[in-house]
Amino acid sequence: MEDKLENPYSMKNVWAILLVLAPMPLVLSTPLATEILIYAIFAMGFNLALGHTGILSFGHAAYFGLGCYITGMALRYLELGVFPALLLGTVAAGLAALALAALAVKRQGVYFAMISLAFSQMLYFLALSPLKGLTGGEDGLKFIPKLAIEFPVTMDLSRPWSAYWFTLLFFALALFAMRQVLNSPMGRLLPAVRENEARVKSLGFPSHALKIMSMAISGLFCGLAGGLLTVYLGYVPLSTLHWFTSGSIMMMTILGGMQSFSGPIVGVLVFLCLQDVTGNFTERWELFSGTLFMALILLFPQGVAGSIKERFQHRMTPTIPERQA
Amino acid sequence: MHVLLGLALGAIYILLAAGLTIVYGLLDVVNFAHGVFYMLGAYAVFLVISLTGSFWIGLASAAIITGLIGALAEVFLLRPLYEKHQLYPLLLTFGFSVAVPDLMKVVFGLIGKTVDYPEALSGFILLGNIPFPKYRLFIIVLTAVVMTSLWLFLKKSDLGMVMRAATLNSRMVEALGIDVSGIWTVGFSIGVGLAALGGAVAAPMVSASPDMGVEITVESFVVVVLGGLGSLAGAVTGGLIIGQVVSFVSLFAGQYSKVAIFIVMFIVLLVRPRGLFGEAGRH
Repeated sequence: MEDKLENPYSMKNVWAILLVLAPMPLVLSTPLATEILIYAIFAMGFNLALGHTGILSFGHAAYFGLGCYITGMALRYLELGVFPALLLGTVAAGLAALALAALAVKRQGVYFAMISLAFSQMLYFLALSPLKGLTGGEDGLKFIPKLAIEFPVTMDLSRPWSAYWFTLLFFALALFAMRQVLNSPMGRLLPAVRENEARVKSLGFPSHALKIMSMAISGLFCGLAGGLLTVYLGYVPLSTLHWFTSGSIMMMTILGGMQSFSGPIVGVLVFLCLQDVTGNFTERWELFSGTLFMALILLFPQGVAGSIKERFQHRMTPTIPERQA
Repeated sequence: MHVLLGLALGAIYILLAAGLTIVYGLLDVVNFAHGVFYMLGAYAVFLVISLTGSFWIGLASAAIITGLIGALAEVFLLRPLYEKHQLYPLLLTFGFSVAVPDLMKVVFGLIGKTVDYPEALSGFILLGNIPFPKYRLFIIVLTAVVMTSLWLFLKKSDLGMVMRAATLNSRMVEALGIDVSGIWTVGFSIGVGLAALGGAVAAPMVSASPDMGVEITVESFVVVVLGGLGSLAGAVTGGLIIGQVVSFVSLFAGQYSKVAIFIVMFIVLLVRPRGLFGEAGRH
């Protein structure tokens, strides 16, 4: 059933986002555009947990990195095709998120953040040294062969343009899937869990199960993003599992504005473009981005998209007021 | 021997975790920049030693200088965010921990700065008939002294009592006419000062480098979560446990020493979700 109110998750918005993002390679470089799409999927997935459900996870690098490594290992050791390898990476990340959420769902806020952080660091150190034989340790997973597809079309994915189109296809699928999730009865309940879990529970909804599902789906998106990164880069850097990756995606999401459909995508776009521009004249872009981020937190706590939205609020759907601590 | 080495390692964790737990207990802030202050402490000790030539002045001033930087950070960066969701201070300190190590690379270069052991503490001491590095013994003693004085400060001094009261009910303390925001600044400086002391003490062993704080932040979180958020006794116990775990796992299966930290934490949390000393009612 469609609302009479303008629905932020309407198909119109999905097409609008695609229409804006698809011609990116005309303005930006193709590799940068590909990276933006990949991280946009990651940020969308992350925001399902943080923005929509209110789960403070500081370990999403785990699912992203797992997607990277499983896809990479499937390509390299099992010599699977690109599609089955991506599927494997995505599912593995979803299962990991499911497992962690099931274990830790009763912990709230900061405690959950720390447990998820510990989980992702555990994977990081596993990849760094005990599993060095499989993961390549500090050097990352290299020599991934066969980055080409034959069906439905023949494509050599090591070429920037083919990689871009391939990524765009999955981005469109992810965008559509996310819209479906948020529009589903389950998706509609997630903001309610965020705002008042006790009330959701007392109305008879299984709030824990909702949170676990939200985390698992979020993990699927992050795993897909990771798998696509592997396909795009042709190798897996160890840094994908590092907790700084979790923080960065959080930074991008908040920068764009959480709790919104397009916010994380805007955040990724702004962040990666800034990083690209500053990278041209200084190596110290972390100094720049960290400072910028602090300034944004202090000045525009609602994020870029959120702040713009607020300014034109009379024309938009009502936003959910910010929670007080 | 390995118990003692683990104790020395644990001592540094204890300093970090105590700082983290004070900041969390008092300000409700999860300080992601804790490792940055640890790193700043190591650089401060390097700077002061190269100016004065004395390790002892360096050690003392490292904690004080970094504590002052912490006070500035609290006033200008954290204070505007207290009214908002707990997420914002956490994010701000994350931004801080991205920017500051990079700033240090600009100022001091990418290569670490070595700090010499003070002469009195280099070499070994015989414990029974086992030679043990003097410096590690010093770390153990120093931490014991610092933690005892911290405990006395919190339990016995007026300021300490006000701080504990502010942890429990800041509005009530404010209503009594006490400047709570000043208390928060002091608490944050003490917290980061402890981290800086940890970094300063570790500097001769690991040398000061911009990225040295990155891993230790997460490890000190583990210690705090293991012990129970906001509990000083928990921080000490957590530090001791993690120190021993790292020491013994490195002995038998070196590759797993870091992984073991997180596995221990998971096991403890499954059995005791609030951590060993966690109070009921906290998250």
